Amino acid sequence: MISERLIILAITGAVLTGISCSLVGSFVVRMNLSSLGFAMSHAAFAGAALGLVLSIEPLLISIVFSTGVAVLLGPLAEKAKLPTNVILGVIFSLMISLGLVFLNLIPQTAMTSTALSILWGSILGMTVQNVLRLFVLTVGVVIVFILFFKEFQSIMFSRKLAEASGINTKYYYYLILFLTGITVAFALKLVGGLLVFALMVNPTSSAYQFSYDMKHIIVLSPVIGVICCLVGIIVSFLIDLPTGASIAIVSSSLFALSVVVSPKRRRG
Amino acid sequence: MIELRNVSTIYEGEQIPTLSQVSLSIGKGEFAAIVGPNGAGKTTLLETINGLLKSTGDISIMGMNLTEQGIEIRKRTGYVPQEFTCDSLTPFLVKDVILMGRFGKIGVLKSPSRADHDIVKKTAHFLSISQLLETPVGKLSGGQLQKVMIARALATEPDILLLDEPFSNLDMKSRADLSEKLSSLNEKGLTIIMVIHDRSAIPLSCRRIITVDAGRIVSDKSLPQVM
Repeated sequence: MISERLIILAITGAVLTGISCSLVGSFVVRMNLSSLGFAMSHAAFAGAALGLVLSIEPLLISIVFSTGVAVLLGPLAEKAKLPTNVILGVIFSLMISLGLVFLNLIPQTAMTSTALSILWGSILGMTVQNVLRLFVLTVGVVIVFILFFKEFQSIMFSRKLAEASGINTKYYYYLILFLTGITVAFALKLVGGLLVFALMVNPTSSAYQFSYDMKHIIVLSPVIGVICCLVGIIVSFLIDLPTGASIAIVSSSLFALSVVVSPKRRRG
Repeated sequence: MIELRNVSTIYEGEQIPTLSQVSLSIGKGEFAAIVGPNGAGKTTLLETINGLLKSTGDISIMGMNLTEQGIEIRKRTGYVPQEFTCDSLTPFLVKDVILMGRFGKIGVLKSPSRADHDIVKKTAHFLSISQLLETPVGKLSGGQLQKVMIARALATEPDILLLDEPFSNLDMKSRADLSEKLSSLNEKGLTIIMVIHDRSAIPLSCRRIITVDAGRIVSDKSLPQVM
């Protein structure tokens, strides 16, 4: 029998993860950074696996790995004179491979439940410490979005025009990438490294189907994110699915439904 | 107002500079057109002037060094890009896009004031697009979007206005109307530099024609001499 305390921790963790992932997701989707988010989430997975191998806090290493991808991408693409998507493809495959290698290096047993939880997420493994960390992250993301919404909005419309109107876009751009990296690492606990990206893209992509006003999307996106997490958890409890997979299926289904009923896609 | 000395601009990965050793001086309140064949370097010159493209040489705008004070310069410069497009689902309304022109000037950690919103309405009225303020930008025609981009640049209340092919999506009536409005702004002291392919569309109040070819200024004449 699952204790009441565990259920409260799971629900609180899911709500916080849904809010933070969907908020940074609104930037990732609009700026066409999906590939980067994808590579970041797998880097976070590899980092967490390395943390387990070295017996260092997995969250810390996953933050280093995921933000490291964002920081290294620009210079790597420039040095190699290749499109960023090619570099991201290489990074993605490297990270998933490293993650699997690290998992096999975990002392004693390969593929323990701890190791599997960073792949698929483990809502039942949510601790008070995890929830407190998620709370700090979510409050931080919300504050950053409130403080710099004007600049983010301008960059989301056109980075070039934002720069032309006197905004130093580089700082804000890297601030968002950094926040994305941290959010991905924190969300590993709930959805796992392989599916955290779905929670970042699907709720926001659904919100985009219902409004032409960015302010509405910024509010609607976390609401959908929270709904996806809660419904996903209920489904995973009911039919015994991994939490991450369940949330990804719910958010994908909601996105498909949003596209069908979207008022933006009606003619006339 | 605008001083370029031996300025060269080279795109990343390119061997030959798109703009080569260009020197140019444009005074306050001038209305200048940059003309030339496709690929001559007209847009590059415009984007070098406001620092969107990195260059070598000396550029001074409004007495400020572009390398050191690029952000400050851009806050006082309106810029309209060539053929700006956005997809039909773009989640921004016309009023938001025009207001964005003021964000640099408003500054970090400050919200747009009532005065900023009033400037948006005033600019939209000036360009006869008030009825579009609540429309999503993705729903606009090419000509309407062009006017919104000009409104965004004017909402900056700039000292210098840089326009890249501003008439490209406009019908004849709208061209004449915009031409008249730009002339009136220039009469009030606004410095305007306009990249334009079609010489017949150059407004009569534009006194100077700068011809660019193969990344160099090949002629710099006043309008009566050209006509």
